[in-house]
Amino acid sequence: MHPDQLASLALTLLTTVALLVVISVGLAVIFGMMRIINLAHGEFLMLGAFATLSGVRAGLSLWLAMPVAALVVGAFGLVVERLLIRRLYGRLADTMLATWGLSLILVQAVVLLYGPATNGIPTPLSSFELGRYSVSEYSLVLIGAGLLLPTLVWLVLTRTRYGVMARAATQLPEMAAAVGVNTSRMNMWSFAFGSALAGAGGALLAPLAGVVPSMGQAYIARAFMTVIVGGPQVITGTVAASGVLGGIEHAVSYLTTPFLGQGALLFAAVVLLRVLPRGLTGRRR
Amino acid sequence: MRGARPLAAAVALAALVGASALLPEFQALQWTLWAIDGLLALSLTLVWGRAGIFSFGQAAFFGVGGYAYGIAAIDLIDRTGETFSAVAIAVAAAAAFAGLLGYFMFYGNVGDVYVAIITLATTLVLLTVMSSTAGPQYHVGRAQLGGYNGMTGIPPLTYGRPGQLATPLSNRQLLAMWVVVAALVALGLHALSGRPFGRVVAAMRANEERTLLLGYDVRRVKLAVFVLGGAIAGLAGAGYAAWGLFVNPVVFGLQQAALVVIWVLVGGRTSLLGAFVGAAAVQQLSASLGGGQGQATPLILGGVLIAVVLLVPSGLVPAVGGLARRLLPALRQPPAPQISPRRAAAPPGLRGGATLEAVDVAKRFGGLAAVDGVTLSFPATGVTCLIGPNGAGKSTLFALLTGRERPNAGRILLDGEDVTRASAHRRARRGLGVKLQVPSIYVDLTTLENLWLAAYAEARDPGRAAERALALLGWLGIAARAHDLAGTLSHGEQQWLEIGMALGGSPRVVLLDEPTAGMSREETARTAELVAELGRHASVVVVEHDMEFVRRLDVPVTMLHEGRVFARGSLAELRADERVLDIYLGRREHAGA
Repeated sequence: MHPDQLASLALTLLTTVALLVVISVGLAVIFGMMRIINLAHGEFLMLGAFATLSGVRAGLSLWLAMPVAALVVGAFGLVVERLLIRRLYGRLADTMLATWGLSLILVQAVVLLYGPATNGIPTPLSSFELGRYSVSEYSLVLIGAGLLLPTLVWLVLTRTRYGVMARAATQLPEMAAAVGVNTSRMNMWSFAFGSALAGAGGALLAPLAGVVPSMGQAYIARAFMTVIVGGPQVITGTVAASGVLGGIEHAVSYLTTPFLGQGALLFAAVVLLRVLPRGLTGRRR
Repeated sequence: MRGARPLAAAVALAALVGASALLPEFQALQWTLWAIDGLLALSLTLVWGRAGIFSFGQAAFFGVGGYAYGIAAIDLIDRTGETFSAVAIAVAAAAAFAGLLGYFMFYGNVGDVYVAIITLATTLVLLTVMSSTAGPQYHVGRAQLGGYNGMTGIPPLTYGRPGQLATPLSNRQLLAMWVVVAALVALGLHALSGRPFGRVVAAMRANEERTLLLGYDVRRVKLAVFVLGGAIAGLAGAGYAAWGLFVNPVVFGLQQAALVVIWVLVGGRTSLLGAFVGAAAVQQLSASLGGGQGQATPLILGGVLIAVVLLVPSGLVPAVGGLARRLLPALRQPPAPQISPRRAAAPPGLRGGATLEAVDVAKRFGGLAAVDGVTLSFPATGVTCLIGPNGAGKSTLFALLTGRERPNAGRILLDGEDVTRASAHRRARRGLGVKLQVPSIYVDLTTLENLWLAAYAEARDPGRAAERALALLGWLGIAARAHDLAGTLSHGEQQWLEIGMALGGSPRVVLLDEPTAGMSREETARTAELVAELGRHASVVVVEHDMEFVRRLDVPVTMLHEGRVFARGSLAELRADERVLDIYLGRREHAGA
């Protein structure tokens, strides 16, 4: 194998892994901090992409529209938490059902607002040559984001007052409440934070894939599997699971076709959970 | 009443089939689809409502059934002249797929949430995979998979013989057939809920851990239900493909998956009839409100989902009129002759004791060694008390002995056999009876049904289990409460019931965790009698805080401290030991106990 082929393979592998990190990290924060599964996560990604699209159409540069989109989706998540999620604490199944209903509504609402067609966002980046191979510069952006977002989560969870209190509220809710942590408020911020990360994920997907109301369901299966294979540790779990599953997906895609790669990812995840039911970072029994 | 119900069902069925002959052609087609949708909903009622398995994947099995029917029918019809064999292949394919998925989930012991996510993710991956099969290279025999546009030219349900002219079913025949099939499946599931298997399924949903400790292999029960649910969904999928002559990847989409859940939610999660009512009502509603293009349908469906969850979590049908019959009344019909309140002196049905040994077992949680190299041997008959201050490792040791936790090191021997790696239900089968600290009974079942479930785990015969349950009831002295719901028993009675349940499987070793918690003095005294009687026929290990109870039993005592065996002897000997007093008894003595 030529060195340039090897380098190109390594880059596409890293891109696959980074993509998994980017689409999963918001879901992982909400699951890790609140033990809630947001079945509308795919639609939060989609909202992030549409917010980016709107920003670009309104004249913002892509690089500014992306963080703005994350904030918009974060604010939306905050509203959802106050109106819906808060009423369903402790009712895990019902939370899933309600967020599922929300996902159906969001898809259709965006269809009504933007139409069902696919919208493209042109990237200001082109591609560069790596020996005989052409590599898109945007994949480097994605790899950068795959490093940046987990670092951001780590900083927020360890270096802010919210992060310390939220982690306390996750580990021992009664104790945290007893020492004065408002757990309901912590949950609100956790959900908003996770939503903002989902929005950022969607914003990063926007130039990569077609921006279309149904885009969420193309990603959530992989995001869910990444999060549950990752297990309870938000950052190490997401990154480790993305590495393992992304590696498998990439290998199978490379050897066969991309959609079989996704099937392989699912199969690998299910087999992994048979061996490690609590995920890669879960406590062994 | 039990005899009248099948009759009423048969009359209703005949009326439905008769009515189908009078329907206009268009409505016959519509009703057929409702019957098929109802079957799909029924599969989720079984899996989720009855067995408590939170599956979002019924749409996947439906789709697998649809595609399998399409492929088999296209490839086989010229050879066989009929397509019913394709339906059978579709059912088998869906069941096999459910079996594979279920094996990994249930035998991996993944949590409920994970089951929900894995099933949903599986469905969505099938959506992606099937959508990507557009090229001509994706075919099975003559059947083109067709990518996002789907598989076309699927033959309708056809009967005939090889070489003869094949005859498709007319629309009215089709409706009559699916109404009968749906009714038969529903009746079959209803009958199943009254059978021992159905009772075990209901028990598992009510209290999984207790069911496991009684000796039922919960994983296998779940897998069986999941495969059955997959087969029913596959049958519906075959019906759908044969009805529309077409199947596309939309069957694997989020909306289809959500629809199934919505039908069942609206109809009521446990109601067999509700599955059909929910499917027909929601489909009619979204058709009439959704308008021509169906633009608003997802909005309505999403709204219905959120509204039902927030406002009527038990489902519309039960909420509106109790139309849905709950599973539990059906369960209240086991053989229940008059209960004689005779008091038996000996615990019934015990077959003699066995030894239980822990050899150098250790269990760490993170950095904490909860049990730190304990070696203990309990004799084949007689009672042993385990005592120790809070945090001494009693509960962890108990969990290691019952199989709820696995030790990091050491071995556990039951009757000389190594059971260290055996799961809780295996140990129960080998003669371990367990009563947990927190009362763990089926509060929605009667006292007798609780005992029946415990006895059936070992007896495997409904009649013998009923006999045993009655005998236990007499020995425990709670015969008067036989037909009361266990949740209405007093705290002491619940503890006795659970001791009785621990004896259901004729155990040779009985582990009791705080059997007198929350009991009055008289109840404690009675419990001491029961435990002492038990000790003459089996090996009994009691974890207890109540020193009065331990003193009354007057048996060998083992004291744990900081995860190790600290002292052994009679309670009097331990009380004479200064070190013991320092750690534990002493403080209580000085406190005036």
